[in-house]
Amino acid sequence: MNGEFLRIDEVGMRFGGLRALDGVSFDVERGTVLGLIGPNGSGKTTLMNVISGVYKPSAGSVRFKGTAIASLPSYEVCNIGIARTFQIVRPFANLTVLENVAVGSMFGRDRKPTHEAFERAEALLETVGLARVARRPASDLTIPDRKRLEVAKALALDPEVLLLDEVMAGLNATEVDEALELLRAVNARGVTLIVVEHLMKAIMAISRTIVVLVEGRKIAEGSPAEIAASPQVIEAYLGARFAQRQRQ
Amino acid sequence: MQLFFQDLVNGILTGGILALVALGFSLVWGIMNIINLAHGTFIMLGAYVTYQLFVSFHLDPFLCIPIAFVVLFALGYVTQLSIINYVVRAPVLTTFLLTFGLSLLLENVILLIWTGDTRSVTTGYSGAHLDVGGITIPLVKLLTLVIALAIGGLTQLWLARTKLGRAIRATSMDVGAAQLTGVRVAHVYAIVFALSAGLAGAAGSLISVSYAFSPSSATPFLIKGFIVCVLGGLGSVQGALVGGLVYGIVETFASQYIGAGYADAVALAVLLVILVFRPTGIMGRATA
Amino acid sequence: MIGIAGNRVAILVAALAMLALLFVPLAKSDYTNALFRGILMYGAMSYGWNVIGGYTGYVSFGNVVFFGIGAYAAALLATHGITDIGLSIVAAMVAAALFAVVLGIPVLRLQGHYFGIATLSIALAAQDLISNIDAFGATNGLSPKAATLFGAAVPYVVTYYAMWVVCALALAGTYAVSRSRLGYALVAIRENEGAAAVLGINPTKYKVIAWAISGMMGGGAGAVFVYANSYIDPATAFAVDNNVFPIVMALLGGVGTVAGPLLGAFILTAINETLWNHFPFIHTLFFGAVIVIVVLFLPRGLLALIAARRSWSLYVQHLRAYRV
Ligand SMILES: Nc1ncnc2c1ncn2[C@@H]1O[C@H](COP(=O)(O)OP(=O)(O)OP(=O)(O)O)[C@@H](O)[C@H]1O
Ligand SMILES: [Mg+2]
Repeated sequence: MNGEFLRIDEVGMRFGGLRALDGVSFDVERGTVLGLIGPNGSGKTTLMNVISGVYKPSAGSVRFKGTAIASLPSYEVCNIGIARTFQIVRPFANLTVLENVAVGSMFGRDRKPTHEAFERAEALLETVGLARVARRPASDLTIPDRKRLEVAKALALDPEVLLLDEVMAGLNATEVDEALELLRAVNARGVTLIVVEHLMKAIMAISRTIVVLVEGRKIAEGSPAEIAASPQVIEAYLGARFAQRQRQ
Repeated sequence: MQLFFQDLVNGILTGGILALVALGFSLVWGIMNIINLAHGTFIMLGAYVTYQLFVSFHLDPFLCIPIAFVVLFALGYVTQLSIINYVVRAPVLTTFLLTFGLSLLLENVILLIWTGDTRSVTTGYSGAHLDVGGITIPLVKLLTLVIALAIGGLTQLWLARTKLGRAIRATSMDVGAAQLTGVRVAHVYAIVFALSAGLAGAAGSLISVSYAFSPSSATPFLIKGFIVCVLGGLGSVQGALVGGLVYGIVETFASQYIGAGYADAVALAVLLVILVFRPTGIMGRATA
Repeated sequence: MIGIAGNRVAILVAALAMLALLFVPLAKSDYTNALFRGILMYGAMSYGWNVIGGYTGYVSFGNVVFFGIGAYAAALLATHGITDIGLSIVAAMVAAALFAVVLGIPVLRLQGHYFGIATLSIALAAQDLISNIDAFGATNGLSPKAATLFGAAVPYVVTYYAMWVVCALALAGTYAVSRSRLGYALVAIRENEGAAAVLGINPTKYKVIAWAISGMMGGGAGAVFVYANSYIDPATAFAVDNNVFPIVMALLGGVGTVAGPLLGAFILTAINETLWNHFPFIHTLFFGAVIVIVVLFLPRGLLALIAARRSWSLYVQHLRAYRV
């Protein structure tokens, strides 16, 4: 029944001569956690941008619950229930942390009036652990807090699908565990997650399915155990990283 | 047909000077990402300097070009180091207003020294012209075109061949990287701004021979600078040249066939239409 | 600063100042009336600029076009016998808003310098066009008859009150915007358009709305100006001063705040008036210098300066931030 929830179909994206994505296809089941991994520059963020309507793909289609969304502008993609974070965070620097999140509730699917939006934003800041800095301008935040703010803004949209682009980068071990716990709780409420992360431990722990991109192509898809065991993945991706880690 | 070729020639002659008008403007915009609203006033200063030398010392206006260049170069250098340098990275509102304030200030200085009267520089050879197959080519304008092209060529050579020129081009591509390789960005910017003002001064000298001018002539030249940049792209000599010629021709034909009164409105309409279809100009962000 | 309205005390002061301005005509001085009507006029225009340039972050350098359109809308109505000042204000606002919508849809796609240039070109082109159209009086301009209200002739001082109404509407409108979802949409667009879009904000829609509101404020001021001045021509309607004063005022008071434009209008008018009276010949020179100084030392306006209390360090900080 879930085959047609979110379908990425032969998506290609070119920047001039560069093929950032090339014939990428996979299905995302409702309620799942899908991990998207790949070396730097493999096209993960680009795929996020395509799904969220920031880029129009140069080939292929994206379907969400039966409608083609690849050509929709990002505000409409948001309105049908797909939210995202930015890897390179984009806070509204001159607004307070609370206002940043409240803007999400005011627009998106809910279109709450301002005072309700602020109430919801307070609650969300509590959830992501930013309540202590709610009234500070977003420009004051540390990098990990900015990542948390990205998540809170996306959650404020009350999405069905949440795209998370390296929200755990720069967090320490305890913070990663907290973040994983938060994501699990969000997922338990029925929100489908697509998680991009370089941190293997975290990705393996949370994902139900993993898709591996290398140079814009999908080279593997499967359960964490399958991916970890796939010689192709180990060679093209894990191998390189393991080797790197051993050197350090 | 005769008329067509005459218009074409007139357009090219106008285009040469417009290319020079835009060149300095384009360098500052392309390299420093600042729109210098005082550029038109710099041009007028060049014209008045030439006028004064001509009136006081009977110096040939074409010989005044280097003097106007040097005077404006110095003014540009000082302006950059003392004022503009503090807003190089500021948002567009700041740089627009700051350079606008500068233009007001300078325009008032011009008014005080030379009054608001319309001036022109008329030499013994002002009326001379060539006649090629029935097409009239005013000598002064031809000379102006040649000199404008020569100045453009020299600028290009300087940018391409000298160490400082290369530092400028490196800065325009990537400020951070240029800084890392030891380029003194503040100095580069000061030189770019000074060069831009110097080129404006030279353009002013040339304009003083072909056109009557008053302090309020600054704005039309500024606007033409915009249009040429949008047509030809930013920060390059070739861009300014292509843009200048194209715009010179368009303007000449527009005033011929639509009416001189509408020439500016047509130019602005062309500018708007281009911007709407190509939001960063025809050539996008060209690099030198 | 918390909230997008700006300092609450400053807003209260601005509101009280507006109330006080109601009593200016009691002095029965034509000079005083004209001076304060100027403050109200520039205040309204500055509020208009502030909505698009301050709140939305789209730095328009052609907002004078709305003032001009409003002025010509009123003047044209008057040549057709409609001199009701209330009606003229409404018509001018509608005309300016329509113009903003039609032009805004293509032009608000541009960003940064290109938007600045495009808006400046619009203002210059509008002036050129009107100078060529006989129905608008071409370069000779139009001279409407005296204003009426509900069919009755009214004394000249009504132009003062009409300008007060326009400025008060602009202030109240700005306050309302700053308290609403619209205001947050605009600020989100200013802060990061891409991030705003993924939060469900349609940037084009909100930018056009902002520009239309901006246009209404300038247009209303233009309509009253025609009756106050009893004459309009392209050079007056699209004067450079009318384009730049409102921007400098907003900057001086505080860009993107509710109290800023009115405060800026007061201060800049005072400066300008003093310069005119004492240095008629080098007044523009000083004015240029004032702009340079404000931009260099007070880029966030007097309100921010007052709020920061560490005025000296604040401006040193600004100088450091933007230089190379
Ligand atoms: N807007 C763009 N214009 C040109 N090239 C781009 C653009 N966006 C991405 N690219 C290129 O596309 C490729 C894929 O980039 P992308 O950011 O999607 O990688 P990524 O998998 O997210 O990498 P990382 O792990 O470093 O975040 C890279 O080569 C990048 O340089
Ligand atoms: Mg990425």
